[in-house]
Amino acid sequence: MLILYAIIVGFLAGAAVSAGAARMYHIPQTQAMGAFRTLGELNACQGDRISHFSFGFGFLLNSAAAAVSTGALTQDVLHRVIPNFSAGILLFKNKSIEETLHNPYKMFVVGGFVGAAVLAFLVSLSSLVPTEVAGIAKEILTPAANLMINPIMPIVFLLAALDAGKITGTWAVIFGGLAHIIMGNGTPGIILGILIGQSIADNKGLNKTSIIMITISVLLFISIAYFRGIFAKLGF
Amino acid sequence: MQMQRQTLFLSNWFFPVLVGLACAGIVGATSMYINFGIGAMNEIFIVQLLDAGLQSGDYAAAAGFAAGFLIARVLEGPLVGLLDIGGSLMTGVGIGIPALLLASGYMFLLQDFWLALGLGLLIGLIIGVAIIVIRKIIPEDGMSASGTDIMMGAGNALGRFLGPLIILSAIQYGMLTGAGAIVGAGLFVYFKKSIIGGAILGAMIFGAIGIYI
Repeated sequence: MLILYAIIVGFLAGAAVSAGAARMYHIPQTQAMGAFRTLGELNACQGDRISHFSFGFGFLLNSAAAAVSTGALTQDVLHRVIPNFSAGILLFKNKSIEETLHNPYKMFVVGGFVGAAVLAFLVSLSSLVPTEVAGIAKEILTPAANLMINPIMPIVFLLAALDAGKITGTWAVIFGGLAHIIMGNGTPGIILGILIGQSIADNKGLNKTSIIMITISVLLFISIAYFRGIFAKLGF
Repeated sequence: MQMQRQTLFLSNWFFPVLVGLACAGIVGATSMYINFGIGAMNEIFIVQLLDAGLQSGDYAAAAGFAAGFLIARVLEGPLVGLLDIGGSLMTGVGIGIPALLLASGYMFLLQDFWLALGLGLLIGLIIGVAIIVIRKIIPEDGMSASGTDIMMGAGNALGRFLGPLIILSAIQYGMLTGAGAIVGAGLFVYFKKSIIGGAILGAMIFGAIGIYI
């Protein structure tokens, strides 16, 4: 059953992402999806099928290690492995990249099958690991992940905000502090603070975008505080 | 025929279809992870945010982190002509929206694989249409998505912390797993791979030796 699911999600995501990657060659007339690094790496292989395959294969091994140990397949599956394998397969029949890699229809079809195969491979590989051993990975990862969420994640985001200047820093400290009181984690507040503060700093003052964002954030905070019973705690 | 297909697949209205299909696959993969513990198409540290929520019931970190990426990338997508699927779809739609749904008690939407596929398709279509609409209505340099670069930088810097934390955690778990994590991470550094994978695999292999021998 699991393998069937893997084939379905692999086909859907693989086909769409490969077609999106082909559309990257038609920017700006076309809206594409993918990533600039994917575009750069596809170009770096210069239509050489062996380069495409070996590049994808290197990242497939990385993804396999992550899948076996944690069940997370990494972003590389969609960013790197599937687009490069699809490009490599298409280049086998036809050496012209204009007719293969740049053609969203061909990439869509081949990407779907490549995606299904890659996902099926990763999922079946990870099911070979005995449960006791997977349990060890879980017990090591959980405390590490909890430390990531609190305090490392708010610290990293807050330091980035402070480095971005005093306006962004001030908004991030205020919103982050409030978020920590209200939600128990400062990160969402710090991110909102960065977006608001930086848009004020860039526009040298309040504009429509930042006023809308501040209003939404304040309403969001008040409603979350209400539902989590913060006001009751304060005695209102 | 060949040219017709090419034009169809390059047309504006086909973009929402592509985003929809990608989101269906990604949310389906998240559903697989929730039910079977394998499948989520994202980096280890981001999936761990969701996992921590699944264990503690507090999804604020996962939802806040991922929803921020979704909003920033969807605003940026039409401006540059390229929607970043890592931040918007894999993190935003694959982790952020599921975290929001789980926090609001809609667990069944993600536990049922087929519902998850449909949900992803719907979300993707909405995002795709929104991007095409934004692209049509904004003037060339009308809107700015300030601060997204700072956020992305911090998000990428964050991923680097997990490797060292895993080594520390493996040492605290036991002598053998600790030694394994050190050996694995060392080897992966030498061969220029991410130390996260090396540390976990090393700890697992040495831990397995401890169990079976």
